Amino acid sequence: MMRFKQCKTLLTTVCLVALSCGASAQNKTVAIGYQAPLSGENAQYGTVFRNSATLAVDEFNKSGRLPGVTIQLKFEDSKSDAKEGVNIARKFSDDASIVGVIGDFNSTVSMAAGQVYAQTKVPQLSQTASHPDYVKISEYQFRNINTQAYEGPLIAKWAFDSGAKKVAVIAIQNDWGQSAAGNFVQGFKALGGTVTETEFFNPGTRDFRSILTKIARSQPDAIFVGAFYEDGSAFLQQKVQMGLKQPVFATSSLYEKKLLELAGPAANGVYLTSTFVVESTEPHVAAFVKNYEARYNGKPQQFAAQAYDATNIMLNAIVAAGGANATRAKVRDALAATKDFPGVTGTTSFDPATREPIKLLSKLQVQDGKFVSVK
Amino acid sequence: MRRLISISILLLAVLLVLPGVLSAVGGGYWFRVTTTIGVFSILTMSANLITGTTGLMSLGHAGFYGIGAYTTALLATKLHWPFFLTLPVAGVVTAVFGILLALPTMRLIGIYFAVATLGLGEIIHVTLLNWVDFTRGPMGISAIPGISLDGLFSASDITNYYAVAIIALLAALVLGRLTHSYYGNALRAVREDDQCAASMGLNVVGLKIQSFAFACFFAGVAGGLWAHTTGYISPGDFRFSESILILAMMVVGGLGSIPGAVLGAVILLGLPEVLRPIGDYRMIVVGAVMFFSILFLPRGLLGETSVLSVVRRQFGLAWDRTLNLGWRQ
Repeated sequence: MMRFKQCKTLLTTVCLVALSCGASAQNKTVAIGYQAPLSGENAQYGTVFRNSATLAVDEFNKSGRLPGVTIQLKFEDSKSDAKEGVNIARKFSDDASIVGVIGDFNSTVSMAAGQVYAQTKVPQLSQTASHPDYVKISEYQFRNINTQAYEGPLIAKWAFDSGAKKVAVIAIQNDWGQSAAGNFVQGFKALGGTVTETEFFNPGTRDFRSILTKIARSQPDAIFVGAFYEDGSAFLQQKVQMGLKQPVFATSSLYEKKLLELAGPAANGVYLTSTFVVESTEPHVAAFVKNYEARYNGKPQQFAAQAYDATNIMLNAIVAAGGANATRAKVRDALAATKDFPGVTGTTSFDPATREPIKLLSKLQVQDGKFVSVK
Repeated sequence: MRRLISISILLLAVLLVLPGVLSAVGGGYWFRVTTTIGVFSILTMSANLITGTTGLMSLGHAGFYGIGAYTTALLATKLHWPFFLTLPVAGVVTAVFGILLALPTMRLIGIYFAVATLGLGEIIHVTLLNWVDFTRGPMGISAIPGISLDGLFSASDITNYYAVAIIALLAALVLGRLTHSYYGNALRAVREDDQCAASMGLNVVGLKIQSFAFACFFAGVAGGLWAHTTGYISPGDFRFSESILILAMMVVGGLGSIPGAVLGAVILLGLPEVLRPIGDYRMIVVGAVMFFSILFLPRGLLGETSVLSVVRRQFGLAWDRTLNLGWRQ
């Protein structure tokens, strides 16, 4: 009798263990690593990425698209410092639960971390890295941002068609600014226009008067600006103060509400492109803007949208790679196969040969302190 | 005999115990962190010779680190030189640059010297950034080959670790011999009172330039190690903030002390990694550690001289009206 009871207890235990094992197999956690500057000089971008990614993953986990699988986001702060970026890349590579990584913010850190991911074969998707060599590191690198090779010629054509035959080019002295200016100049010259002046300013420059004087002397029909909002707004203000009347064409990097606040009326008239338009009436964009605003008390901007899409592209790839059974190699293949992904920054495909993203750009103009879509 | 024992314990710890523990803990991450700490230990030890021993407040060390890194990266990618050639050449090139750039600043003292080296660091950084044809400017240099030797070892975490560890040990040996000798005492005499040292017949300018050259040599080698172990460098890695980081490591570890320099690098690079689990607050803790270490341990953890006394002496001179505005005749 005793023996039978013991047997029964044993049997129950075994059953329980088996059940709990089954349950844990049913509720598997798959992790995405996210490296971004959550502190330091670029913390404002990192925080926005964290907001967007958290929003996307929470929506995904609630939607039940992968029953029994919980997606977990693991954030690490890179401070926009290559040293830390490389350490994080190692840390994520060692973490077997991570099947894919998103980040980093700037190209320097993304490139340095990319060398590690290429070695350890972890798919890396950057929401913003625009360095021309980034996806050439290895077949494990992806990005969710148009490169200037696409955006530059498009803006060049826009400027040329609007009647400008001579332009002056000014851009920030970093990898992004170099390729922004280079691609615009190439595109503009190919159309038969002339470039009167090409000037680079070092990051952190706040006084553009000497550059503006030089530009004014070269008498262009229009000015192309490759800058971010901090420098861009100072440039626009000083341009007005110096009395330059030429229209300004800029890249999507200036699509930022802070530009309007900092530059004030000086921003009026600026032409720029963007992949994400916050006022868009498309239902999925409007839903994203509404959910983001409800949760974080502020409208999402371009970079927030880019991170939201990057996270969703990664989530899609994990689903395609088999959900609970996803491996790093399968996620890489699924990412490479991304086609016509309906993102809030436009329909996105990754070119099968180069892995470069293809996104449509909207044309905007600042009118009365607002971004307005133009033809 | 005791010396022999302590040296063998050190060698055993760095070359066997530490990599053993790191492999047991499992992997790439801690090897990578230790490699970075190793590179910055070399940098801090070398900067320590200028600031800690000779008493010159240098704020441009990251620039020399950058020259070494770029020399290595360009030689390795353009001319395909192996690491055993790139590293010494990087050191020599950096030392030559160090001497050339230091010459005009050698008559400056105190805060003026500090500001001049700050300028040097910025000049180097801006040159790396804007000389696009040669350095590729902000694009940086990628695909720098790792440390490997055909048939013997290939690039891996362990190779990187050993390369950095062995060179750090060599740097510690050379810099240790330099500071703990009659020569080192001469350097200390310059730190404590350069006029007095000159009156005793020491060639103060010569000593300053020599200490600059030795320090720049090792800064260049450290830069080369960084380039080889990371595979990608860009001017952003050699900004002013890196010079300040090196200075902070010296201050926390203790000015004038070689174990202190290593300890400073371990604390300021290791602590942010160990504290990753607490997320956004980790840099506050790191800042607090720095704050309290300077408050309660003005000599640093292992320092031979107090930072405050060096600063007071250096900066005090600048405000002394009886002297000619920071120029020493």
